[in-house]
Amino acid sequence: MKTDVLIIGGGPAGLSAAIETASRGLDVTIVDEASKLGGQLNQQTQALRPLPSVHEPMRGFELADKLIEQVKGFNVRPLLNHRVVGFYADGSAGITDEENVFPVKAKKIIVASGAAEKAVAFPKWTLPGIMTIGAAQTLINRDFVMPGREAVIVGSSDFAMETAIQLMDVGIRVKAIIEKQNGALAKEQEKVSELSRNGIPFYFNSFIREARGNGQVAQIDIELPDEVITLNVDLICMDGGRAPILDVFYQLGCSFGFQEELGGWVPQYSNTFQTDREDVFIAGNAAGISTQGPLLLTGMIAGISVSEELQAISPAEANEIRDAIWKELGLLECKEVYTGRVKHLENFTSPVLKDQFIS
Amino acid sequence: METNYETIVIGGGVVGSGIAYHLSERYKEGVLVLDKKYPMSGTSGSTQAWVWVHNKTPSWYAEFSMYSAELYPYLSKKIGDVEYKRTGGLSPFFNESDREKAEKLAESYRKIGIKIKVLSREEVLEKEPYMNPEVAGATYSSIDGNVNPFRLIDMYMRAAKRNGVRYSTYNKVTEIKKQDGKYSVVSDKGAFECKNLILAGGTWSREIGDMLGVKIPVNQLRGQILVSEPLKPFLNFTISGLRQANNGEVLMGYSMEEAGFNRATTLDVIQETANMAVQYVPGLRKAKIVRAFSGIRAMPEDGFPILGKVPGHENLYVAATHSGVTLSPLIGTLITELIMDGETSIPIDRYSLRRFG
Ligand SMILES: Cc1cc2nc3c(=O)[nH]c(=O)nc-3n(C[C@H](O)[C@H](O)[C@H](O)COP(=O)(O)OP(=O)(O)OC[C@H]3O[C@@H](n4cnc5c(N)ncnc54)[C@H](O)[C@@H]3O)c2cc1C
Repeated sequence: MKTDVLIIGGGPAGLSAAIETASRGLDVTIVDEASKLGGQLNQQTQALRPLPSVHEPMRGFELADKLIEQVKGFNVRPLLNHRVVGFYADGSAGITDEENVFPVKAKKIIVASGAAEKAVAFPKWTLPGIMTIGAAQTLINRDFVMPGREAVIVGSSDFAMETAIQLMDVGIRVKAIIEKQNGALAKEQEKVSELSRNGIPFYFNSFIREARGNGQVAQIDIELPDEVITLNVDLICMDGGRAPILDVFYQLGCSFGFQEELGGWVPQYSNTFQTDREDVFIAGNAAGISTQGPLLLTGMIAGISVSEELQAISPAEANEIRDAIWKELGLLECKEVYTGRVKHLENFTSPVLKDQFIS
Repeated sequence: METNYETIVIGGGVVGSGIAYHLSERYKEGVLVLDKKYPMSGTSGSTQAWVWVHNKTPSWYAEFSMYSAELYPYLSKKIGDVEYKRTGGLSPFFNESDREKAEKLAESYRKIGIKIKVLSREEVLEKEPYMNPEVAGATYSSIDGNVNPFRLIDMYMRAAKRNGVRYSTYNKVTEIKKQDGKYSVVSDKGAFECKNLILAGGTWSREIGDMLGVKIPVNQLRGQILVSEPLKPFLNFTISGLRQANNGEVLMGYSMEEAGFNRATTLDVIQETANMAVQYVPGLRKAKIVRAFSGIRAMPEDGFPILGKVPGHENLYVAATHSGVTLSPLIGTLITELIMDGETSIPIDRYSLRRFG
């Protein structure tokens, strides 16, 4: 199979890259291991803000539906329930439907593989009932399954607070929020207040010492600064942050740098979102953990750059659009992340990790 | 760190560490091993690790390999469990027309005392019930087996260190000078002096030789290997193409390509390898593949080991070879004899660097 643009990952960044390229007449293929396009947006019921100016305010799954609808109007081939498992010597991607593997030869590749949640380990943390906040959210909002009845949340980021509220909304009793720092980390103070108003205690400078249970979690010990308390719970949602998913970049031989603000190890890319493999571009959380609005913008920049390389748009026009999107990115993105991103770009020509296959 | 040594070994892979260990049995002090990374980061950590004799040609090379295989049980006794298993080796063929070739191989080996049997289809299936029933036959030798290369090197290193050998890792040799009858070895972490210098840099031997103006004609030949999830023990033999490790993983593959020092894997070879494995053992179709990796063979230009004294350079030795896992105990023994006694119990003139002119 041949295609102009192969997009790996059909979340918000991949979809916006698809719209930028396909709307300019390019033939686009999106591969995603899920059975539906939209990625993480599908289980996000919260209102997304801030979004780029082209979108009115809306909730996560609504944005997914809007992007999917837009993509349908163009020449885009979705390969759902498919995975990229490697690359052939001629650069073709090897894609599997879990039965066979077939090659897809693309002129350009945009990797928007997203991020993976990190767990928080403590003794017996592998017991069923202990999961990441994203997993709990997926169960509730996408699969309509109650992950438990009595929960604690480990972590206090915006994402963790949002999840706590969603658990509450479906009738799960949130017994505590456990944070090892000495205050809540969330930037949206209203959510923290809402949880407090509902009588949910915040335990700061605290952590789970141990979980217990026969076949699934039933009880935990929490180490507070001056005592240890025991709670009966059947659900622990933990927020260990997220890190870019790097497998495909690794297989492609891309270089990496380390940028704490972007989530750790991140592929190196320039301000056109081109990696040091000239035919490979990057977008979304894979290029640094951010919020949905900025992620859409990164997909748009990658899409514009690929369109330029494939001469679907003039360099002058591409530069103009890119500059405008970068400006919007600077306004929309959390300051810390944006600064980290700019620092990361500066290391493009001097990556920490490169030529990893050359021994 | 001490900077003066009797002997320095450059390269701590299965060849270099094998030599260092065997030397340390004879003298307790004064051996240093230098490695630019860590002793399993090179080819010795990315290998099938069969201890393989059968169907090596010509027969004198098979004989050499056999002597080394014979040393393995004793080696395990000395340095500890290296998961060496003398499973016996099977080389299946799928066309009846290959039987004649197999008989000829068996005949030529008989003369040097290596017993090779040519098995019928039924005999193969009786030995290895999961083999493809369409197999026509196989050559079989009881001396073949395999080893865990990580344990092997780890045990070599532990035993060598107990005997006083020093290791300096993540320490690349960048320059070698000869002065006052001694070698000065310049590395990232400083300069060391020694009387005897052993070059065991594997696939990097050519660039190390260049530091002394010695041409060591070793080329790179990439091999890619697929690893299955751990499966219940079901393969009895080391089959030319795949083997099951002690933890249940099946290692598949024996590819060869020229790709320089590039250790990437490619789906072209991965798929070929998977097809080969499924042809041999159809049940593997259901196994999950958990990873693939590449190794870069050290391949001497004519395919045979380069061993012994470097002509024209006093106290300079080289050991660079393919099949280094098979040959390691023998190479360690012979290089030690050469340094300590000036001669070897088995002639190695055939393997001298001199043959390349
Ligand atoms: C896919 C594959 C399958 C194989 N299967 C088998 C098999 O079944 N049986 C078998 O017997 N053999 C097999 N081999 C071959 C076997 O693995 C090698 O012959 C053996 O590992 C070589 O050992 P070595 O110590 O020479 O090399 P290495 O393990 O590569 O050691 C060389 C060391 O030198 C170091 N070095 C290099 N340059 C410098 C420098 N300038 N300064 C300091 N240190 C340096 C390196 O870091 C390295 O650790 C296989 C190889 C491959 C790739």
